[in-house]
Amino acid sequence: MTAGNESPGAPAVHKWRAAYGRALEWLVIGLIVALAVEVTIGVAFRTLGRALTWYDEIASVMLAWLTFYGSALASFKRAHIGCPEIVDKLPWRARRAVSIVAQLLVIAFFVLLGGVGVWITPVLATDALVSLPSIPMSVVQSVIPISSALIVIAEGMHLADLVGAKAPPAGTGGVALADGLH
Amino acid sequence: MAMMLLLFVAVLALVLCNVPIAVSLGIVAVVAMLTTHGLAILPNVALVTYNGATNFPLLAIPLFILAGAIMNASGISARLIGFASSLFGWIRGGLAHVSIGSSMFFAEISGSAVADVAALGSILIPGMKARGYPAPLAAAIMSSAATLAVIIPPSIPMILYAVMAETSVVQLFVAGIVPGILGAMGLMGVAYWFARRYDLPREEAFSIARVRTAGREALWAFLLPIIILGGIFGGIVTATEGAALAVIAALFVGLVIYRTLDVAELRKATLEGGVQTAVVMLLVATSALLGTYLTEVQAPQQLAKSVAAFTQNKWAVLALLNLLFLLLGMFLHSAAAIILVVPVVMPLVKAAGIDPVHFGLVVTINLGIGQQTPPVASVLMVASSIAKASIWEVSRFNVWFVGVLIAVLLLVTYVPVTGLGLVELFYR
Repeated sequence: MTAGNESPGAPAVHKWRAAYGRALEWLVIGLIVALAVEVTIGVAFRTLGRALTWYDEIASVMLAWLTFYGSALASFKRAHIGCPEIVDKLPWRARRAVSIVAQLLVIAFFVLLGGVGVWITPVLATDALVSLPSIPMSVVQSVIPISSALIVIAEGMHLADLVGAKAPPAGTGGVALADGLH
Repeated sequence: MAMMLLLFVAVLALVLCNVPIAVSLGIVAVVAMLTTHGLAILPNVALVTYNGATNFPLLAIPLFILAGAIMNASGISARLIGFASSLFGWIRGGLAHVSIGSSMFFAEISGSAVADVAALGSILIPGMKARGYPAPLAAAIMSSAATLAVIIPPSIPMILYAVMAETSVVQLFVAGIVPGILGAMGLMGVAYWFARRYDLPREEAFSIARVRTAGREALWAFLLPIIILGGIFGGIVTATEGAALAVIAALFVGLVIYRTLDVAELRKATLEGGVQTAVVMLLVATSALLGTYLTEVQAPQQLAKSVAAFTQNKWAVLALLNLLFLLLGMFLHSAAAIILVVPVVMPLVKAAGIDPVHFGLVVTINLGIGQQTPPVASVLMVASSIAKASIWEVSRFNVWFVGVLIAVLLLVTYVPVTGLGLVELFYR
């Protein structure tokens, strides 16, 4: 959103947004650190000849959590892998219209995914992790509805920016965070 | 085949409208599944998406990214550059050779070409410009050299490929060693040709004492990756476990040996690593949805049959796949290309009698070249932006370096022993 489009309530919104982004950042950092520690402990115990039975199952669960909560942060940072080159070449009004439709599709997908996630939760309550039967699958898979809701909030913020924008935002283009994988 | 084409066009249309690729795959898969099975299939959407993100070998990706980030935040880049300078600085166009040599060394730590060009390019590109190198040439040298990061182990595209193709990541890592070194030598050859043409300077006279001092400084930067990769190659640890050890080792070097770990830089890099992992893993998760549907309608098998009706010659199939991946690399990010295309073409690869490890190396080099070819050329874009040169100006120089990478690709494709020699020697 450009500075010229800001309403009187904008500073509070900015503060809230910044806090939301920071919370997601700490969640992702926490998950990465926990993942590294857990795998290292698993390797150490295996080397000592006392392999932990739950190590790879828990690591896989943590990877899934990192995937979905990290995706919420990626939505917040506009870092998902896409192909903006064509839309960026359109005149501003057409670009805005296409972007709004794309944004609505993204939101619709995660509303559906989150909704289905909620729907199957009671079914999963009777299932549990194989190596740690005290942890029900409903807890493990709660990541789907919760992260979907977080993604919808992040994408909703961007949709609101697009709907309210009267001019193209400055400084678009460049290399996305996702490029670091290559 | 008509169904597959329809799905492809639908995904393409969404992607061109700037819907993220992961979401485009998910939307098309859900619509296809609902059309075939009705509402009863909906619970599977959440279950398959979740399961798609729980692939244990892919854990190596965030861990290798984190290890690279920690090493870089420990000021390792400057030490590697110092060592490369003592080795290659005396040649005409010394800084160009130092850039390529540093990229080769950094590739042992990092599995990502963008991480490589960002870490080294920010030091070496301004250095080359200050020594009279044309800015686009400096960017081209750094950009093409960064591709070595995905060819020399560890390599994130190789980990992704190995999971998608259900093949050995360790063998794939080993297969990348010789082509990576050959690529570096070829790039140095082209850099030397440019150095003579533009009369670029030498940096310093060769001195054994300087090599020894710089080598001592960079010792830990070399030693730890070698020990960890040795552990992986020797079958002592898996690639995922090796990646976890790399994190611990990197922390040890940064906190105990060098004592120069920049915590703010580390936090930023960890965060970026987390996001990078998530976006690729989301692609893996939603592609599992589409993959389930394609498997159900036996689309990969149909594709294999159609191509087999056209040709069954292994080399002709490899030529076709090379063309396909070169084209894909121009328009798709490498992770997306691997996740989308590899599972679909694997039945064809197997039917043609192509070794999956050989094919993995071919795919990796193809997509490495794709990072150098606009319009979607992530590594080229980073290098150009550091050099403050247009990507088209940089490409005029880069085309010669890309020529070297294509020569390596052809060598690896048609003389398989180039990559598979070490694999055959140690693993088969």
